[in-house]
Amino acid sequence: MLWKLAWRNLWRNRTRTWLSSLVIAIGLVAMIFMDTMMVGMNANMVKNATDSLMGHAQVHALGFRDEQDVKLTINDLEKTLLQLEKHPDLKARSMRIVTQSMLSSAGGGEPVLSLGIDPEEERLLSKFDEAIVEGKYLDSVSSQKIILGWKLADKLDLGLGDRLVLTAADAESGEMVQELFRLSGIFKTGEEQMDASMVLVGRKTLQTMLKLEGRVHQIALRYANLSQDGVPVNPPEKPELSSKNELLLWTELMPSLYMISQMTDLSMAIMGTILFLIIALGITNTLLMGLYERMFEFGVIKSIGTTPWQAARLMLYEAVCLGLISIIVGLIFAVFVTALFANYGIDYTGIEFSGVTFQEKIYPSYKWSRLVLYPFMSMGFTILAALYPAFKLWYMLPVEALRKRKF
Amino acid sequence: MSETVIVAHKLYKTFGEGETEIQALRNVDLEIKRGDFAAIVGPSGSGKTTLLNILCGLDNVSSGDIKVSGRSLQAMSGSELAQFRREHIGLVFQAYNLIPVLTVLENIEYVMLLQNVPVAERKDRVRKFLAELGLEGKENRFPAELSGGQQQRVAIARAMVSHPDIILADEPTANLDSETGGQLLEMMRKFNEELKMTFIFSTHDPQIMERAKRLITLTDGRIVTDELK
Ligand SMILES: Nc1ncnc2c1ncn2[C@@H]1O[C@H](COP(=O)(O)OP(=O)(O)O)[C@@H](O)[C@H]1O
Ligand SMILES: [Mg+2]
Repeated sequence: MLWKLAWRNLWRNRTRTWLSSLVIAIGLVAMIFMDTMMVGMNANMVKNATDSLMGHAQVHALGFRDEQDVKLTINDLEKTLLQLEKHPDLKARSMRIVTQSMLSSAGGGEPVLSLGIDPEEERLLSKFDEAIVEGKYLDSVSSQKIILGWKLADKLDLGLGDRLVLTAADAESGEMVQELFRLSGIFKTGEEQMDASMVLVGRKTLQTMLKLEGRVHQIALRYANLSQDGVPVNPPEKPELSSKNELLLWTELMPSLYMISQMTDLSMAIMGTILFLIIALGITNTLLMGLYERMFEFGVIKSIGTTPWQAARLMLYEAVCLGLISIIVGLIFAVFVTALFANYGIDYTGIEFSGVTFQEKIYPSYKWSRLVLYPFMSMGFTILAALYPAFKLWYMLPVEALRKRKF
Repeated sequence: MSETVIVAHKLYKTFGEGETEIQALRNVDLEIKRGDFAAIVGPSGSGKTTLLNILCGLDNVSSGDIKVSGRSLQAMSGSELAQFRREHIGLVFQAYNLIPVLTVLENIEYVMLLQNVPVAERKDRVRKFLAELGLEGKENRFPAELSGGQQQRVAIARAMVSHPDIILADEPTANLDSETGGQLLEMMRKFNEELKMTFIFSTHDPQIMERAKRLITLTDGRIVTDELK
């Protein structure tokens, strides 16, 4: 009965009810839309970072990341590889030589980070093969070919076929060794660091040059079965300390990136709370207006035996009904809006954000938990908005209410 | 021998304080017996509404004792009073008694729903009163679709269905023309006689007073006469 009465009361002022539910619904849509965009943007950033070089995890010898010492290669490579390949979700791995070096041409010199790679392995880890804008991607582990970024090529005024000399310290004596390469390809990844100061050569060639036969500095790993945040659902096992190797997930390799995604959760929560609080105040006001308009009637209702608690529930039920309508309206709108943007995406390509450039359009992406959370949140705040009016109704003396009408 | 429904002793009610103090009731002693059909009469401002409000616990007294159906009202909380009224007292106001969003049927059922009366019995009782009140076929109308007299009849039905000990009606005919008012009173009288329902109503309409079996006259908050006819 109270539900029926609450529901009918809600529809006494149709315009007001629709406006109220529209306000709540718009709040809900805004939250869901912002959320899906944020999640989409995060996913995009993470994907960019993990797909372009880093992978989902990397193995190094302990100390290598800090010291960049050419001698610090991965210990017990065979065993480490066996260990890694046991993981059921491992999709690809790329073993790399990584060393600081000097690139010199006829036009001058430039410090660069040299990567010695297996072009076939690397294809699955990064996108240098797709990013070639001039010439060709590497085709062998042991050629004298070199590829580098377009910014570096610009700076040194290089063209395909140019002879280049790479100078670096070898791993045995620490003496400078040199090797002659021929420029065979230029890439454009959109990532400043890669485009301006990175060169790729065959792994074997670099191993020989640095006297590192059979050894590597880095294994980049790629996994299937990721969480929505881009973290492997079954995280790879960390090597024991005694192995003197370390395995770090991208969340540890690039904590700032991970933090952004965690912070968006927090900022969405704060934003949501503020937004819904403002809406709740508006709803409280509307409900109070309705209460004052119907004062006499509530006086009658309370006089004929409705207990204070039943009267208060009448107001709360009205709010619950309002909340339900709003959620239905809001969800319909939200699906519509996100579907629209899911189709077209938002074009942020080329804009750099915390060291990562957006390479693809951003598409909204759902987190189911949130789609459930926000409607509950709007319901919660609607009920919250009704608390004060409900309390008034609970507290109100029927005689006072009955006096409100002058015949 | 007839049972006493209401005993009021030395009731005082004061509104406001100091300069603006109004003594709405002074030293009111009153006893209402089962089967009474009493009119409280007196000019506007004489304290009729105040007295009726106090008799059903809607308002509290400044001093004095009041017992309804053997229970002392002063000691009860708001929630207890609400339940007490629901079980023992039927109320009819001057106008706008009905909940506009509920149909005639639902309005009459409302109190019984709060009392958890089983469906079958509910329907039964409603049907009986609708017939008695000449409101058959109007079950699913909304109050706004009824005339003032019909609305008041529904209000009486609502007050009666829960089988209260007494019905208090504050100027139930004031918003009706005298003919409709007279009919309403006839109906109340019929219920009084056939079902032994106890009624107290206030009025300042001489035509209405005539139909009462007992006349209680209030002036300035004092009972000046209390006569049986
Ligand atoms: N809430 C109130 N505050 C102050 N004075 C009141 C209040 N209610 C009634 N009164 C006063 O008490 C007196 C009796 O009022 P009331 O019982 O309404 O008379 P009646 O119903 O006979 O017209 C009047 O003088 C009225 O002004
Ligand atoms: Mg009055």
